[in-house]
Amino acid sequence: MGFQGFEFPGVIAVALLGALVARTAAMVFGRHTGWVMSLVPVMLLAALLRRVPAVADSGVVLTSIPWVPSLGVEFSFRLDGFSLLFALLITGIGTLVVIYAGAYFSQKPRDQIGRFLGLIFLFMAAMLGTVLADDLIVMFVFWELTSLTSFMLIGFNSGSAGARKAALQSLLVTGGGGLVLFAGILLIGINLGTFSVTEILARSDELAASSWSGPIVILIMIGAFTKSAQVPFHFWLPNAMEAPTPASAYLHSATMVKLGVFLLARFDQVFAELPAFGTTLVVVGSLTMLVAAFQALRAEGFKAVLAQSTVASLGILVMLIGLNGEIAAVATVGFIVAHAFYKAALFFCAGTAIHATGQTSLRKLGGLSRFLPVTAVAAVLASLSMAGLPPFVGFISKEYLFEAQLTSDWNVVPVVVAVMVNAVMVGVAGVVSIRPFYFGSKRVTEVHHGETPGLLAGPLILASAGILIGLFPDALARTLIGPAASQLYGEPIDVSFALWHGLTPMLALSVLVVTIGVLIAIFWDKIHGGLRHRKLLAEAFGDGGYRWVLGAILGFARRSTRVLQNGDQHRYTAVVVSAVIMGLAIGMLSGATGVSLVPTGGPLRWPLVIVLALSVFGALATITSRSLIASLVSVGVTGFAVAVVFMLNGAPDLALTQFAVETLLVVLLTAILLRLPARRRHSRTSSERQGDALLAFGFAGVMFVAIASMTAAPIDLRLSEYFGQTSYLEAHGRNVVNVILVDYRAIDTLGEIAVVVFATLAVWALLRGAAPARTKG
Amino acid sequence: MSLIFSAMARIFFALMLAVSLFLLFRGHNEPGGGFVGGLVAASAFTMLALAENVSVARRALHLHPVVLMGAGLLLAFFSGLPGVLSDRSFLAHWWFEVGSLHLGTATLFDIGVYCVVVGGVLCLIFRLYEDPAQ
Repeated sequence: MGFQGFEFPGVIAVALLGALVARTAAMVFGRHTGWVMSLVPVMLLAALLRRVPAVADSGVVLTSIPWVPSLGVEFSFRLDGFSLLFALLITGIGTLVVIYAGAYFSQKPRDQIGRFLGLIFLFMAAMLGTVLADDLIVMFVFWELTSLTSFMLIGFNSGSAGARKAALQSLLVTGGGGLVLFAGILLIGINLGTFSVTEILARSDELAASSWSGPIVILIMIGAFTKSAQVPFHFWLPNAMEAPTPASAYLHSATMVKLGVFLLARFDQVFAELPAFGTTLVVVGSLTMLVAAFQALRAEGFKAVLAQSTVASLGILVMLIGLNGEIAAVATVGFIVAHAFYKAALFFCAGTAIHATGQTSLRKLGGLSRFLPVTAVAAVLASLSMAGLPPFVGFISKEYLFEAQLTSDWNVVPVVVAVMVNAVMVGVAGVVSIRPFYFGSKRVTEVHHGETPGLLAGPLILASAGILIGLFPDALARTLIGPAASQLYGEPIDVSFALWHGLTPMLALSVLVVTIGVLIAIFWDKIHGGLRHRKLLAEAFGDGGYRWVLGAILGFARRSTRVLQNGDQHRYTAVVVSAVIMGLAIGMLSGATGVSLVPTGGPLRWPLVIVLALSVFGALATITSRSLIASLVSVGVTGFAVAVVFMLNGAPDLALTQFAVETLLVVLLTAILLRLPARRRHSRTSSERQGDALLAFGFAGVMFVAIASMTAAPIDLRLSEYFGQTSYLEAHGRNVVNVILVDYRAIDTLGEIAVVVFATLAVWALLRGAAPARTKG
Repeated sequence: MSLIFSAMARIFFALMLAVSLFLLFRGHNEPGGGFVGGLVAASAFTMLALAENVSVARRALHLHPVVLMGAGLLLAFFSGLPGVLSDRSFLAHWWFEVGSLHLGTATLFDIGVYCVVVGGVLCLIFRLYEDPAQ
């Protein structure tokens, strides 16, 4: 494939590069950073658009670079109709978000623009990686990166406690869900022996037939539900509105939250044969729609209403994936496109309104069309698409939604839910576009910040695209929606979008929806006022459950800390020693070699006996001496005696190290003594001392039995022989111990010295705290 | 401290440093290696700190111990990179034979271990020996 093989990784790399240069660009270009940096996603968009004909013709383009060949993980990418659609949305809307963010932050310090755009580009790279990855492990890495960048963006105003709390909540929910998803991915890998989506799709029968298919489906669904904010994980998305509005428009409406939908759609073919899969999706999606529609009626903030309607839209998508048939596939793809267009535009308009007035509550906004005339028009256009009125693209996608429901083998319940929820969406559309901009002109008398080209580009382009696609839907249908839906369905679908379908049952439902929706919009104040103050509902549909779980975990952590970390060194030592005793005892009793009580170390040599007696003497002196210095020296005696034992048994390396360690230990402990009282007091009662003695004897006994059992068992010498033979020939060293440390097992050593470094740094920092007002570190 | 200890400390310091380097470089074929060598070197600096004072030992070290520790870790890490280039395997060492002398990236790795041990031990020892009342 040559150069072509690096094209998709290249797309991700360019986005990453954007993240790297964003800060510098902000310092150089200041207010114009948004326009300049938007060139990056425009380039990516162009590169991806070039691929549209190839994908529409052949279906799938695969590329791959080996990454961890020993684990079968490849840096492989798959461009098909579905992932291309997502990649185009990510880069296309990303372009507008970058322009908008530049204008939105234009009055903020330059480093804030840089930091924000850097995170947006990092997120863009993560999103592109997630949707383009063919290897599930690679996909998972990027998936978690989207959770992390989302965390950073929600908590962007880190001075606000609300933002920090919302950021943590989203990270715990989506990151935790990601771990569940990872478990599912690993189970797939174990069962099929591959992580490649392409191969998994080809061998879907095998996976569906395996006995692990149930757990795999559940784990993957939980991962998708957390990311796409489905019941019971729906609460994090509305709270995530603490993020700056450009981030909300990008992450929490148009792209990231659709990843769960993306994942479910990817696995739809694989799990289609499992009857519970579709049913669960329809039920969960419908429940999410109902809860979100209800919450949308209660919500007060401009962004909060939009967020709740986003949750409802995600519910619609999940439900659509749960339905069978090609119409459902087309409806899913069409709704993803329509929703991304109008919802991002509405978020942009909301951001401009909030930015101009400093007010977030819909009840305090009004008459903004005097100050923001173009934004008002864009908001109306976008919300007409959201309401599903002709000639907007939202109308077409809603017709397909109803058609998918009516042609499925489900009963009337999902249709009723969809009618109700869509009616609420119509009401929301009316409330978010007409009220703040055209009604209640007395509420706002002045604005801090007017419209600038950067603030208008996004909403205008998206809103007018909504009409254009609605009027001429066929071009988009053939080039993008058709290939994407075919990928989803598993077989080619001939999609022909048309605005006018004739007098169909779907049209009747649309009329019904609009009628109820207009009524909701008219009586919004009454409905909203009646629902707003219900505390019980807030607990049931909000994040009450999350807070209860989090509180329980924190309470458990506090209690266990009080017991385990009480600051008493005796307690720590006792816990560690008891754990070692138990571990060794369990290991020996359950081991294959059995327990032996008779030492078999050959004849007893006199020199060894003398050395051992010396070490016993040292130990006795340590515990009986009243002076700390004498105790220290006695500990040293025991240590040196052990070193001599090593030497007598032909382990010079070990002995050498033991000597050096013992010397330094005594020196270190003496240094600590400088800071302690010189006299030693008995701080332990006699019963405590008896307990200590018991532990010490227990430890000694277990060690004795362990060594006796080990020497009794036959030793497998194959490894030693291999090292002995190859040490000089392959690793150029005769000292096998050292060669193992620096060559055969070098990565272990690297890990160990890294641990040493970090542990030492921690202790060093603690000592620094204990000695304040020091001039030199 | 006594005059004799103080006078002898300088000589022993030099000797112990030499021994520590000797241990480090012969480690590949005879008993020794970066870990032991590092411990001996740390002892040498500790003795200097005891005989004179900590600031003398700090000056003798030139580098801040924490810097030394970090540099050691980096050196050990980077010694593994050539192997990635040639064998696509991290820490697969390169070797150069100059006559009977075998030199390789494994030696660099061992020097890294040496630096980590010296820096780690000394950053604690210096802290502890400095008079907390100062």
